[in-house]
Amino acid sequence: MKVLVPVKRVIDYNVKVRVKADGSGVDLANVKMSMNPFDEIAVEEAIRMKEAGKVDEIVVVSIGIEKSQETLRTALAMGADRAILVNAADDVHTDIEPLAVAKLLKAVIAEENPGLVLCGKQAIDNDMNATGQMLSALLGWSQATFASEINVDGDSATVTREVDGGLQTIKVKMPAIVTVDLRLNEPRYASLPNIMKAKKKPLDTKTAADLGVDVAPRLSVVKTTEPAERAAGVKVADVAELVAKLKDEAGVI
Amino acid sequence: MAEDIFGQLLDEFGAGVVEHAAQSYLEEPRGTYQSAPMPLIRPHDTQGVSDVVAFCHRHNIAIIPYGGGTGLVGGQTKPDGNAVILSIERLNKIRDIFPTENVIVVEAGMFLADVQAAADSNNRLFPLSLASEGSCRIGGNLATNAGGTQVLRYGNARDLCLGIEAVLPDGTIHHGLRRLRKDNTGYDLRNLLIGSEGSLGIITAAALKLFPKPQETTTALLAVSNVDAAVQLLGMVQDQTGGLVSGFELMHRNGFEFLTETMPTLRQAFDTPPEWSVLLEVSGGADFNLDERVMNVLETAMETELVLDALLAQSQSQRDEFWNLRETIPEANRLIGAISSHDISVPISRIPEFIANTPALLAQFGDIRINCFGHLGDGNLHYNVYPPKGGQKKDFTHLRDDIQRTVHDQVQKFDGSMSAEHGIGRLKVADLETYGDPAKLAAMRAIKFALDPKGIMNPGAVLRND
Repeated sequence: MKVLVPVKRVIDYNVKVRVKADGSGVDLANVKMSMNPFDEIAVEEAIRMKEAGKVDEIVVVSIGIEKSQETLRTALAMGADRAILVNAADDVHTDIEPLAVAKLLKAVIAEENPGLVLCGKQAIDNDMNATGQMLSALLGWSQATFASEINVDGDSATVTREVDGGLQTIKVKMPAIVTVDLRLNEPRYASLPNIMKAKKKPLDTKTAADLGVDVAPRLSVVKTTEPAERAAGVKVADVAELVAKLKDEAGVI
Repeated sequence: MAEDIFGQLLDEFGAGVVEHAAQSYLEEPRGTYQSAPMPLIRPHDTQGVSDVVAFCHRHNIAIIPYGGGTGLVGGQTKPDGNAVILSIERLNKIRDIFPTENVIVVEAGMFLADVQAAADSNNRLFPLSLASEGSCRIGGNLATNAGGTQVLRYGNARDLCLGIEAVLPDGTIHHGLRRLRKDNTGYDLRNLLIGSEGSLGIITAAALKLFPKPQETTTALLAVSNVDAAVQLLGMVQDQTGGLVSGFELMHRNGFEFLTETMPTLRQAFDTPPEWSVLLEVSGGADFNLDERVMNVLETAMETELVLDALLAQSQSQRDEFWNLRETIPEANRLIGAISSHDISVPISRIPEFIANTPALLAQFGDIRINCFGHLGDGNLHYNVYPPKGGQKKDFTHLRDDIQRTVHDQVQKFDGSMSAEHGIGRLKVADLETYGDPAKLAAMRAIKFALDPKGIMNPGAVLRND
C-alpha cells in the first residue's frame, strides 16, 4: 500500500509569535519555520507502518512556497520515500486555505492512487482543523479524525479517536483519510546519514496551475490581535497569607 | 544575631524594609550550609542600600549580600547567623536601554531571565545563560562572575559588563555606571567588584553588553568516539564556520543513565546512550547556510570516525529537547546525590588526558560513579563523584574530603582551576589557600583590608576572616 502524507511548513511551535503592526496577520519574516508538529506525527506513523511491513511507499506532499522543500527534506530524512512540492505561493504570508489545499491534494491523489492519507489533525498556524475532513468529502473516502491509534487490516482500518472526555474506537473502510492527534507517537529525530540520503531522494515540483486548482483566497482576514497579557503572579510569605489571598482575593475557598 | 540589633534596624529602617528572614533565605541549593536565623533587609533603591550599609558600618554589623540565592558555594549563607541579609531583590527595574549602542542598564535585583527577555523584546541578545536563569539575579551573576553555556562565544559575566553602580563597605556609592567600551582611567573598580562575591561591596546596577540576535541556529546532538575526538571536532567546526560555535557541551553516558534512573518518562535522544556525546550549537546571520556547513564538517568527522552518530534538530522544539536533556542533568545529579562535586577548568587541549587519567586515581575510593559533563568549549567541566547504582551517599561521606583533594590536586597538576564558574564562597576558602598563588592571596588580603577594614562585607567568604 502507498501512503500519502501532506506536510505543512509553519511557524515553529516554540517561536514567540509577533503580530504585524497593521494587524493583517502574523509576522513571518526571518522567523524560524518547521514542519507542523501534527504532520510530523503523521510522517512518523507512516514510517512505522512501513517498518511493520504494511506500507510499501510513503509519498509526502507540501503545498506552499518554494522553501517548503526544506520541510519535505525533513520528512524524507525521517524516512519518507518521495516528495512532491506544489508551489502555490510566492510570499510566505500567503496562506492557502483548507478548501484549496484539499482540492490540490485531491488532484495529487488522482495521480498517485494511495490507499491511505495520513495527515495532521490541524496546522498549528491557523488551527483550521478542516483540510482532512474536506478532502474526505471531495473524494468520498472514509474519514477518521483525531487518531491516537491506527490499525490497518486489509480493506478496513480500526482507529482510536481522542474525543471529549474519552476515546472512541471506530472501524472505517479503506481507502481512508486519517487525521492524527498528539498522542499517536513521538516522531524520531533526523540523523545525519539519513539527511544525506534524503538529499538524493526524488522531489518533484508542480504548481497549483498544473493541477488545475484556483488557490485565490475566499476568506479575508479582518483583524489579528495578540492574546491579552497574563497578570503577573505574586509571592506569598507563608501558608497563612496564601490562604488569606485565596479566600479574600481569589474567592476560591 | 541579638534581638536588640533587630530592634535597632527596625527602628532605623521600618517594618517595610526589615523583617525576620524566611527559611528560604537561610538555605542554599546544595544543602551544605544553613544560616542561623538573621534579619532580612530589603531596601527599595540604591540610596536605601547605601543607608543600610553605612548603618551597619557604623555599628559593626556584618552583611551577607543576597541576590537570587542560587550560588553553589555557600557565599549567601552565614551558619553562625552573626550578620544581616541584605537582599537587592527590590532593585529590579530596567534603567535604560540603548539598542543602537547594544547596551542595557539594569538594576541588580532583576532576574537574569528578565534581562534576557528585555533584550529579546528589543531584538537584541543578552547571552549570559545558565540553568538557574529564572531565579538568579543579575547582581549575583556579576558578584560571582557567572559563566554558563555561552561563555565560549560571548564570555562570562565579567566580559558582558561595561559599568557598575555599587555600594562600598562604608556605604559610599560608586557611580561607575558608564557604558563605554573604552575607558582606561585608572584602576578598574568594576572588575574588582565583579567576582568579589559580596566581599568588597554590593553591586546595585550594571550597564551590560547586548548583541545582535543570531538569525540562524544549527543544533546537533552527537555521539563522539571519545573526548579527544570531541576536542578535535570543536576545532574543525570553529574553523569551518569562522568561529560561530555558541555551544559545545560534553556529556558522559552516566548523565543519561542518571536521567533514566530519576526521570524515566523523559525522552532520551539516543536509543542507547553513547559513552560520550556532545551538544553542538552554531549560530550566525541569516542565509549563512549553517546547516550545510555543519553537516559538511560532521560528514567528514563521521568518515574519520570522530563522530559515530549525529542527530540534527529540525525545529526549535527539537533544539529545546536537546538542550533540555543537557540542562536536566544537574537536576538528575541532585536527585542521585553527589558524594563530591567539582567545578573545574583545564586547558582545553589537556582535557582528554585529564579525563583519561583521573578515574584511576579515584579507584582507591571503591565502587563509585563519575559523571563528567560541562562546557567543553570553554574548558569548564563538572566532575562529580556519585555512589554506585543503588548505593547510598551517606556510606561515602567520610571519603568526601579525600576525593575532593584528589580531584583538585589533579586539576592543579594540569594547570587548571578548582573553581571555574561557581566561585569560592565558603566552600573553597581552604582550597584557595592551598592552590592559590601566594602573591595573589596577599594582594587580595590587602585589597580586602583597604576597602573593608572592619570586615563587615560577607565575612568568611572568599577569604578567611580571622
